[in-house]
Amino acid sequence: MVNKSTTNGVSDPNLENKRTKVTLTNSGVENARGTYYSGAYTSVGYDNSFNLNRFKENFKINILSESANELVFEMIGIDAPIANALRRIMISEIPTMAIEKVYIINNTSILQDEVLAHRLGMIPIKVDPRKFNFKLPNKEYTAEDTLIFQLKVKCEKDSVTGKIINETALSKHLIWVPTQDQEEMFPNEEDRPRPMEDDIPIMKLRPGQVIDIQCYCEKNIGREHIKWSPVCTASYRLQPVISVDKSIKGDKANQLLEKCPKKVFDIEDSGQVVAARPLDCTMCRECIRDPEFEQNVKIERVRDHFIFSIESTGALKSREIFQEAIKIFIEKCNIVEESINKLVN
Amino acid sequence: MNAPDRFELFVLPDGAKKVTMVRDTKIPNASMFTILKEDHTIGNLIRMQLIADQDIIFAGYRMPHPLEHNVNIRIQTNNNTNPLECVQKSMECLSREFTSLENSFIEQVQKKRNVADQYI
Repeated sequence: MVNKSTTNGVSDPNLENKRTKVTLTNSGVENARGTYYSGAYTSVGYDNSFNLNRFKENFKINILSESANELVFEMIGIDAPIANALRRIMISEIPTMAIEKVYIINNTSILQDEVLAHRLGMIPIKVDPRKFNFKLPNKEYTAEDTLIFQLKVKCEKDSVTGKIINETALSKHLIWVPTQDQEEMFPNEEDRPRPMEDDIPIMKLRPGQVIDIQCYCEKNIGREHIKWSPVCTASYRLQPVISVDKSIKGDKANQLLEKCPKKVFDIEDSGQVVAARPLDCTMCRECIRDPEFEQNVKIERVRDHFIFSIESTGALKSREIFQEAIKIFIEKCNIVEESINKLVN
Repeated sequence: MNAPDRFELFVLPDGAKKVTMVRDTKIPNASMFTILKEDHTIGNLIRMQLIADQDIIFAGYRMPHPLEHNVNIRIQTNNNTNPLECVQKSMECLSREFTSLENSFIEQVQKKRNVADQYI
């Protein structure tokens, strides 16, 4: 695994740069692949094999910003497969609750039953999925594995004002119907199951049109259908490193500043250009498009420095999603480990 | 309906073994491991962890078919060890690595909370 050694890596600066950074040029990305092979740098006296203590020493997490539904943090000292595994688990392997079965009692709107059912399935439900079990196939619904919502909306014209009532069926019209002892599961009003947002339009109605539907929510994972994914987006990018040659000053410096659409560069009092906001860089490479700047501006990304962005749909907090992803992965490891131990014995 | 049940992607069938190993008959110290109901998430990670081991000569993985969620991992080791031990060691390392990662994350969240509390 690629880790910085205690001797600050490979002695040859070019090789060290190749080992730790990805370079972007006009023609494309250079040196994109990481080298994980343990003996890759043996000839220059660097041990590239995995060492847990070294990993713990070099590994860092910094939380850059956090709100209820969004978390941005950086992970330093890990490899792409680890970051990618976490991203994949967050998207497709953390369970949530979503509408799976829709019993349509009455639908006189112009929207077809199956389209309506699909739209209902995509509405994020705000409820802690950890309180429920997975529903087994071909088994009856129980209070431990199912939530029931009722959607009963009738559009009509007010006889006095002539105003149309319930012109749009919204997610707030989905009313939770507690079964058995479910009310005891959610004693607090704010914990009660409900759609994440109240103003998601389900369909437009005209006077006289009615929808009467019962929705059954089940617990499942995003690998089965994206409606069960707890995240809107879970992505990562590598930390950008932009270095500008000292020779760029005066008019050239102003030209470079204007080239960048994200305003990454600033001019210091000395007249020299610096990358003041490297995190804003989208790697559009506009600054090196011009051949005269290509030699003077170097755009790189640090190979083991990941900036993660997790945006939750609302069922779980972003922080909880990340912690659940780690737990799920450890569980996966344990299952595989147990199976391997059985092979040994 | 002709469609297969969607849970077949991740639910292990009754009586099936999660991991099976087949020794290579032509190459010494080489084996093929098949992990059922897993995909690139774990395949790529195990491969990376394996090739960081000094005793590994070759480690690679593939998903034989994108609709069948099985992973084949092929390993060849030197004479100091055997593929089974290497996979065991790798899985152990990954577990520890992720536990360490989790602890660091929880620690950072606590720090962030404490800082926020100071300004309230």
